[in-house]
Amino acid sequence: MGRKVNVIGVGMVPFAKPGQSEDYNVMAAKAIKAALADGGVEYGEVEQAVAGYVFGDSTCGQRAVYDVGLTGIPVYNVNNNCSTGSSALMLAKQMVEGGIVECALAVGFEQMQKGALAGAWNDRPNPLGLHVNVMNDAQGFTSAPPAAQMFGGAGREYRWRYGTKRETFAKVNAKARQHAAKNPYALFRDPLTVEEILASPEVFDPLTRYQCCPPTCGAAAAIVCSDDFAKKKGISNPVYIAAQAMRTDYASSFGDSMIKMVGVDMAKNAAQAVYDESGIGPEDVDVVELHDCFTTNEVLTYEALGLCAEGEAEKFIEEGDNTYGGKFVTNPSGGLLSKGHPLGATGLAQCTELVWHLRGQADDRQVQDARIALQHNLGLGGAAVVTMYRRD
Amino acid sequence: MGKELRFDGRVAIVTGAGQGLGRSHGLLLASRGAKVVVNDLGGSTSGEGKSSESADLVVEEIKRAGGEAVANYDSVEDGDAIVRTAMDTWGRVDIVINNAGILRDKSFKNMTDADWDIIFRVHNYGAYKVTKAAWPIMTGQGYGRVLFTTSSAGIYGNFGQTNYGSAKLSLVGFANTLSLEGQRKNVLVNTIAPFAASRLTEGLLPPAVFDSLKPEYVSPLVAYLCNEENETTGGVFEVGGGFYSSLRWERTKGKVFRIGREVSPEALRGSWKQINDFGETEHVGSLMESLGPIVQNVEAGPSKGGNEFIDVDAALGAKYPERTSSYDERDLALYALGVGAATDPNDDEGLRLVYEGYGGGMKALPTYAVIPGTNAILGFAKEGITAPGLNYGFDRVLHGEQYIELTRPLPLTATLTTKGAVKDIWDKGKGALVVTTLDSYDEEGDLLIKSEMTAFIRGAGGWGGDRGPSADINVPPSREPDEVVEDSIPENQALLYRLSGDWNPLHADPGMAKAFGFERPILHGLCTFGYAGRRVLEKFAPEGNPDFFKSIKVRFADNVYPGDTLITEMWKESDQRIVFQCKVRERDSVVISNAAIELFEELPKPKEKPAAPADAPAAAEPTSADVIAAIDQFLSQNPAIAEKAQTVFQLKLSDPESLWTIDLKAGTAGAGETAKPDVTLQLSEQNYVALQKGEADPLKLFSGGKLKVGGDMMSVNKLEALGEMPFDLVLEKAAARASGASSDAPVAPPVVRDPFAPKLFEALAKRLEEQPSLADEVGAVLQFYVKDPDSKWVVDLKNHPPALKSGETDGATTILTIADADLAELSGAETTPQSLHQRGKLRVDGDVEPAHRLNFLKGLI
Repeated sequence: MGRKVNVIGVGMVPFAKPGQSEDYNVMAAKAIKAALADGGVEYGEVEQAVAGYVFGDSTCGQRAVYDVGLTGIPVYNVNNNCSTGSSALMLAKQMVEGGIVECALAVGFEQMQKGALAGAWNDRPNPLGLHVNVMNDAQGFTSAPPAAQMFGGAGREYRWRYGTKRETFAKVNAKARQHAAKNPYALFRDPLTVEEILASPEVFDPLTRYQCCPPTCGAAAAIVCSDDFAKKKGISNPVYIAAQAMRTDYASSFGDSMIKMVGVDMAKNAAQAVYDESGIGPEDVDVVELHDCFTTNEVLTYEALGLCAEGEAEKFIEEGDNTYGGKFVTNPSGGLLSKGHPLGATGLAQCTELVWHLRGQADDRQVQDARIALQHNLGLGGAAVVTMYRRD
Repeated sequence: MGKELRFDGRVAIVTGAGQGLGRSHGLLLASRGAKVVVNDLGGSTSGEGKSSESADLVVEEIKRAGGEAVANYDSVEDGDAIVRTAMDTWGRVDIVINNAGILRDKSFKNMTDADWDIIFRVHNYGAYKVTKAAWPIMTGQGYGRVLFTTSSAGIYGNFGQTNYGSAKLSLVGFANTLSLEGQRKNVLVNTIAPFAASRLTEGLLPPAVFDSLKPEYVSPLVAYLCNEENETTGGVFEVGGGFYSSLRWERTKGKVFRIGREVSPEALRGSWKQINDFGETEHVGSLMESLGPIVQNVEAGPSKGGNEFIDVDAALGAKYPERTSSYDERDLALYALGVGAATDPNDDEGLRLVYEGYGGGMKALPTYAVIPGTNAILGFAKEGITAPGLNYGFDRVLHGEQYIELTRPLPLTATLTTKGAVKDIWDKGKGALVVTTLDSYDEEGDLLIKSEMTAFIRGAGGWGGDRGPSADINVPPSREPDEVVEDSIPENQALLYRLSGDWNPLHADPGMAKAFGFERPILHGLCTFGYAGRRVLEKFAPEGNPDFFKSIKVRFADNVYPGDTLITEMWKESDQRIVFQCKVRERDSVVISNAAIELFEELPKPKEKPAAPADAPAAAEPTSADVIAAIDQFLSQNPAIAEKAQTVFQLKLSDPESLWTIDLKAGTAGAGETAKPDVTLQLSEQNYVALQKGEADPLKLFSGGKLKVGGDMMSVNKLEALGEMPFDLVLEKAAARASGASSDAPVAPPVVRDPFAPKLFEALAKRLEEQPSLADEVGAVLQFYVKDPDSKWVVDLKNHPPALKSGETDGATTILTIADADLAELSGAETTPQSLHQRGKLRVDGDVEPAHRLNFLKGLI
């Protein structure tokens, strides 16, 4: 074990639809400046920076931080698909944890294009090729967006196994919209009823359009530091990372199960590692930001993180254990479904939201007396990063 | 089970039978009628002390159960005494079970001579002594069963048991030979490696495990092996805890160095992987089998030799991968121009070689037959494919000789499969000659071209091998040539010739030519070959008809430069054989020597196409043109497809090449590039038609590299909308094309399949009458909504009696939506409800669980 790592500054920009955002470097610089101001840190004090994004040519990270300062520090560009943001955070955390730096910056940003995700490099093996093979064997390949086929297919398998109602999945976004209504940073803030969600065009049964996260542009950043550095800044009780783990695919991803193919075992193992390292179990968690790229994945993730027992997600949802007044509040920000999902920024936006809750700064959507927060960020291809934050 | 295995009248000696395994063997044999000598010295597990108590107890136990037994307290080292007990009591010995054993476990460091010796005395010498004393009795009576007890500690090793392990494994060697010596006398010898809880393992195992490793699991195998029904001998069996298994040796195919080739430690290091490769193995069962590879290698005789460049043993007879190529009139014309044909476009003899519309019919210049084989070899060189044992680079290769022979005149188009093999290798001292056959077969698999290419490999000879035939053939007679023709070779001729496939930069790149030691790029030897061949045919083939060509053989003697004047001298040796040679005027050097062309005496008949069935106008094979025509029509009838897809696809097909645009923005399909493509697909004509037919899997083509996708790959699946197009539409286009009808002719509507659902549910109703209990297995009211064609069905498998009707109900517990065709699949054996659901072809609303039990629909029809 290395040193304790604190998150003393967070910041993000309101998320926007493709074509309606500022350029990535502008968004990223705003998020970085917000995080620096939040922590009372000068950019000159940042010793190394990790920048996460998926779409863009090489060294966009430098271009983004150059708008904040030209101090010559090392900048690493990270791409881990949809878990890019938390991967950047993890590297920055490890720098502090290992005693390499006192203060590091993690920033994530994405300037996405309209439409479903698409690959740019079609002359070489697709990194998701193994995953697609599993899907092709299980259910073939259709004209629906590939990610919807993957997570929708996992939903089909889950429904078949547990007889889950279509409404149950729709309820997840109805809840997300309720949460997002109170989040000025979220993209979709109008509430939706379960009926409206079910009535939206079918994308890939059981997913309808309102159960898929939209392409989004945005940026978020976090400043991590050692105890000494926090002390120097006069921060007495900072939010800190109690445990963090990343897991990549196991052999089980490439068997015959769509549920496993979309990374449930990565999430399970990462969560278990975090629970083991922190000594804190899921029952002690107050607030959760988890990777609801599709409603079906939020359902799967409840079970993967141990928020409820296997096969009991429907009951968990019906009893309101995923929102205010229940056992946990999941995705108070509105999640990827309603806040939006700028791939590189998502992991750091989740971090930002949770830090605000632990500090009691989440305004109307504040989870009361939140002390322990859990974050789950998933990228197909794949990597699952689970992080536990705490404020004493 | 068969009849009980009995031992009535048999006398068995069991050593170490006072406790554990031996006791268990003795009790089992006695219970089945054997008279048993219960031998036990009564010592400790480490071989100390002596008592009669344990043997006596077992004898008593046998007798109490009604069996016959006698005790013996001698050490196995005194085997004679034990056998004497049997002879004295019952007068015979049928079975010897060598079981007695002790342990002296020590790490090797702490092992004493005494520890080592006593283990060998008991296990090895003891088994020897008992068996030795019984052997003449058993072989004399022509019946015997001997059992040895070895140990996995010897087979696999076990820490602290060097003495025990080696003594135990020595018994396997003992039994291997003894089984051979006893076999003819019906004395069978087997060995077991038991794992059982006994005095020797007590204390090493937890009690629960100890109990499940009872000796009683081992003794049945011993009884079977020692019964007269058993015919196995020389076997080794692992046994214990309910597990029974037979053990044998396995060895790798290994590495063979031919006799006479140098074997060095380095050579073995290089072959280490092969020596240890258990991917392909054999199981050796005897000494003769063991020696097999050695005997074979000796019988194969000395190596034909070789060196770092050529391993003759490995290379001779080696085959190249098969290559398929095709050519048409354009390739023939380009080749003919490449060898100087039709320099005068008004000359018929040249023109008919290069013009497909030639009045009397185009002719193939037959020396083109060298191209498929040489292109195959050049392709191998380019891709780094070599025959095993040929380890030289392309830079050492000179084309030495060339022979080709045709079985019939070359057709104007053909698709050929070329098979290459190394035929001969000769050691010419400084260099080596490698003769490669490259025969090409037509689509029906008939031989069309025989080709032999002789390559001279510079600096690769000298291993002292066979020099090969040396007599010169096709030597020109001493008289003046019968015909002489001069050709001025244009300066750019090599650049033209190389377009037929010989890409070697030596013939095009001035820098490269210099690097090879030539003042400028040289002409291809095969270009000269084509010039000469063409000239001989003009002069000597009847009416100059190149179809009379049968064969050509040449030796390449020197280089020709573009711009040289080539003199071809010809001597008619018979009507069918013309000897020739080629010289270059400028340097007065012979460039092609020892050359001859043979002509057919009569023109062979061109191969007849297999006759099409007389009544099959519909047999027109659909082509991509038909598919595109069908798509065009389909899109105009279904404008929604294009409206939704908004993507332009370009198809680049090969074999034969064609270019098509499927414009899913405008809703049209046609030839050429009619719109800027978003996605390009490259595949063969054949695969494209198969794909559209549903006979090929796009993902497999893609992963196999047979389908290449460019542009916006994720949009490829938008082509799926065309999957709805009935293939009948394509067949109609093909039939219309074949019958010469306009492809705009009205098209018959696609055949409608009989709806399946009514048949299925009728059968289900019948089954429910016969078997109302089916309802209990499902316990749900199922509402089926069947699509294409639509029908609705209520199947009540919840209430009694079960009911089935056409229509709808409000009381359904589970609502199932499925296409009629998918319902048919489900009722057959092809698929499961889960798979259909996962594929989105079975939609389930309401209670999902009853959908798991739709298998009652199977096998109804």
